[in-house]
Amino acid sequence: MNGFAAALSLLGVVALAVAGVYGAGWALRISSEPLEAAPFESGLEPVEHAVSRFHVRWYTITMLFLAFDMEMVFMYPWTLIISAMGPSAVIEMFVFLAILLSGVTYAWREGALRWT
Amino acid sequence: MVEAGAWWTLLAAPALLLGFAVLAVTADAALTARDAGRPVTVSAAMRPLLAVPRALVAQPRRMPAPDRMLWRAGVVSVPVAAVLSTLVIPFGNVAVADLSVGVVWFNAMEVMTWAGLWLAGWGPNAAFSLVGGYRFLAQGLAYELPLMFALISTATGAQSLRVGDIAAAQYGLWYAVWMPVAFVVYLAGVLAFSFLGPFAYPVGQDIAGGVLSETSGVDRLMLQAGRWLWLAAGAAMAVPLFLGGGAGPALPAWAWSLIKTLLVLAALVAAVRRLPVIRADRYVEFAWVVLIPLTILQALVPALVNVNR
Amino acid sequence: MDLTGTMLRAAAARPRVLVVCMPGGAAVRMAAERHLRLRDWPPATTPAQADLLFVAGPPCAYLHTAVERLWQDLPAPRARAHVRTADGVLAALDAARARLASPAAQREQEPPAETDSRQPQDRRREQSSDQDGTAGHAFLEEAAKDGERGEEPSPDRSNGRYTGSGSAHSSLKQHHGDHGGEEKRGDGGDAHEDHQGHGGHGGHGGMEMPGGLPMAGQGEDRDGLTLDRLHVPLGPLLSDWPTGLTLRLVLQGDVVQAADLDEEPLVASRPVESFWVQPWLRSAVGEAVGSGEAARRRAAARLDSLGRLLVVAGWPAEAMKARRLRDDLLDGAPAAALASRLERLGRRVGRSRTLLWLTRGLGVLTAQDAQAAGVSGPAARADGDVAARYRQWLTDIRLDVARLDDPSALDPAEESPRGRWDARQPPSAALVGLLPQLLDGTELAAARLIVASLDPDLDELAAHSREGAARG
Repeated sequence: MNGFAAALSLLGVVALAVAGVYGAGWALRISSEPLEAAPFESGLEPVEHAVSRFHVRWYTITMLFLAFDMEMVFMYPWTLIISAMGPSAVIEMFVFLAILLSGVTYAWREGALRWT
Repeated sequence: MVEAGAWWTLLAAPALLLGFAVLAVTADAALTARDAGRPVTVSAAMRPLLAVPRALVAQPRRMPAPDRMLWRAGVVSVPVAAVLSTLVIPFGNVAVADLSVGVVWFNAMEVMTWAGLWLAGWGPNAAFSLVGGYRFLAQGLAYELPLMFALISTATGAQSLRVGDIAAAQYGLWYAVWMPVAFVVYLAGVLAFSFLGPFAYPVGQDIAGGVLSETSGVDRLMLQAGRWLWLAAGAAMAVPLFLGGGAGPALPAWAWSLIKTLLVLAALVAAVRRLPVIRADRYVEFAWVVLIPLTILQALVPALVNVNR
Repeated sequence: MDLTGTMLRAAAARPRVLVVCMPGGAAVRMAAERHLRLRDWPPATTPAQADLLFVAGPPCAYLHTAVERLWQDLPAPRARAHVRTADGVLAALDAARARLASPAAQREQEPPAETDSRQPQDRRREQSSDQDGTAGHAFLEEAAKDGERGEEPSPDRSNGRYTGSGSAHSSLKQHHGDHGGEEKRGDGGDAHEDHQGHGGHGGHGGMEMPGGLPMAGQGEDRDGLTLDRLHVPLGPLLSDWPTGLTLRLVLQGDVVQAADLDEEPLVASRPVESFWVQPWLRSAVGEAVGSGEAARRRAAARLDSLGRLLVVAGWPAEAMKARRLRDDLLDGAPAAALASRLERLGRRVGRSRTLLWLTRGLGVLTAQDAQAAGVSGPAARADGDVAARYRQWLTDIRLDVARLDDPSALDPAEESPRGRWDARQPPSAALVGLLPQLLDGTELAAARLIVASLDPDLDELAAHSREGAARG
């Protein structure tokens, strides 16, 4: 089996299994009439919809994360060519990482890594 | 060498993963029974499995204005991604498909839980659930990068992203021995993407179960199963990455894979009970200031070794 | 073959139980927790996850609507039990199990077919008020008070104040009010567009959102940004939460912008006797109470609080050990039988660096502030944050367990579990009063930890209000 075929087949197997469990639940449930429920609010009625623009106070960290995440895109293929490229590859990668880390240090000093 | 599996591995891999997950659940139940002062028996350990018939008979439940499609998609993606991750995990000398980018595949599947859990938190339109979904994102910002550097350390050591090559490259000396930081960080990452024990932050009791708070029936079963399937998948992946895969004296490769996986799984189940929930607002700082520099240094070690080779 | 029936019977062997505690129900709650632990019936924290709704303690008119709300949200198979005394727990659990295992019982509770065009929530409210006229009355009064309290200029405040209205009439009125607010404010218009066509059911005028609920309103945060905010109550019926306490939080993200204490339950609840201060109450009316007995009760109270804190901190394994010790203490176990387990718990929890790291700096209450607020118990002696308080509990528990056999008579000035006992000024009153300011600006998780680390016992206040009533 090549990779794609295997991945798709595995996905098919899992999808079948999940559908099977949902199907079993559909066939065996004690009542098919859905229960109209309210979100749990400690016994009180909700006063508004919960879906809202959630205030994520760690958004600065997502920016840092994005920088590192892009770095990962380079680092995965980099692992394959270390011997071929020799010391220069290692130096370049880790100098790059050091620059990113100095950014992290700055963010840390500015208190961006703590939000409470 | 790891060979690509025949068609039956498509069924064997999920079945094996499910088996490991059930073992982990029962082991956890046995430890709980001991702490609770109940007799520790096989039947006591099996009791959590009663959640399966319970989920199947449940009446459906409808919330006011839920995002039903996203909710269901999020819930289902957690166990599905866990099973898909086994595509590249060799058991003994057989993997379903030993992709040339196996490590990246595992990583990608694990990142799918970010979307899955956030959607599962968003879907029901309930405050605690929403908070839980966002909690997982904050937790992800902390655990993901150290985990990725840990994965990359092993790939750098073997100069390959193929999981079979990484296992084979450890002849004699396991990566767990000379990359201990990567190993520990990887295990913590496994607990984090299974959102169990110290990383149960998105399903915290303080927000009434968070992402799980409005799920019932099969949806709930899917999320709960997804957690333990991920724990099992993480344990199974630790063996080729850090413990030399199926290599070992006397016994066949599959037996060594089995033994090593069970040992890692046991360690993880024990760790689940040892610590309180580590909130992301504290863990993020620790991860960025301590773990990321440490894991980068860890990745430097195999890089230097390889340059000199 | 009835496969569903077989599955039901299997599942009924391990139902998940949502335990809600009424004022004065502490003894029943603990008896229930003990039996559930021994039977391996795991706790549930929300109706969606529960099979059995277990109401512990004497019925409480004030909480009636809230209990009904939870019950209506429990999907089948389901059962409920209302247990007034600790002796009734076992029988109630067995009855609930039988009901959960019976397909007939589970099928007959199917909801009636949809014939009513109104929103289901209104219908449900109406039903629950039909069942209990007094509760409806109480809630009408509450709604009126809420109206008076709309002191804040922000328009979405009025939304935040309508909850649990006891009759269909008042809920309709409130709906009009809400939508009026929405229209005047004019924001959230995008959301209105999104959902048009869902609304417009008979009985409501104005704009209608799906589920009869408005979208979240906006408010300024501490940095001056205008952000969505949610009104989320903590309590009254929340697991691992002080019985009868209701804090109405205004959240932006998971940050508490404001925490308002509901005063009503403190005054309105039926007179009850606090389980934890029983020795002090008995000693006050002249009964002979041994100081060993008081020490036992005090140690158990603090183990109960510690168990709660550990659950909130996400450490169920250690919480279970603390609760087991509590149950054994209340059972009259000798100190020698507990010493080694207590030692282990003290080591694991008291010396946990992780727990210390996670709780350090949260909810700092200095000794001076505590004294000024009238706090006298471990919270005052700890002189610090959440970490200092749970460590103080552990120290106190160890000292108390050492003197379980003290035969001398209880000195009424000796500290009760939450501080020096004074019937007119119960120690928990000061703790409750501190909550809004301590919670301001904290994260939701921290807020829960702070409340758990103070763990006020509202039954003390109810006992106080009874005496006030008696005095006249």
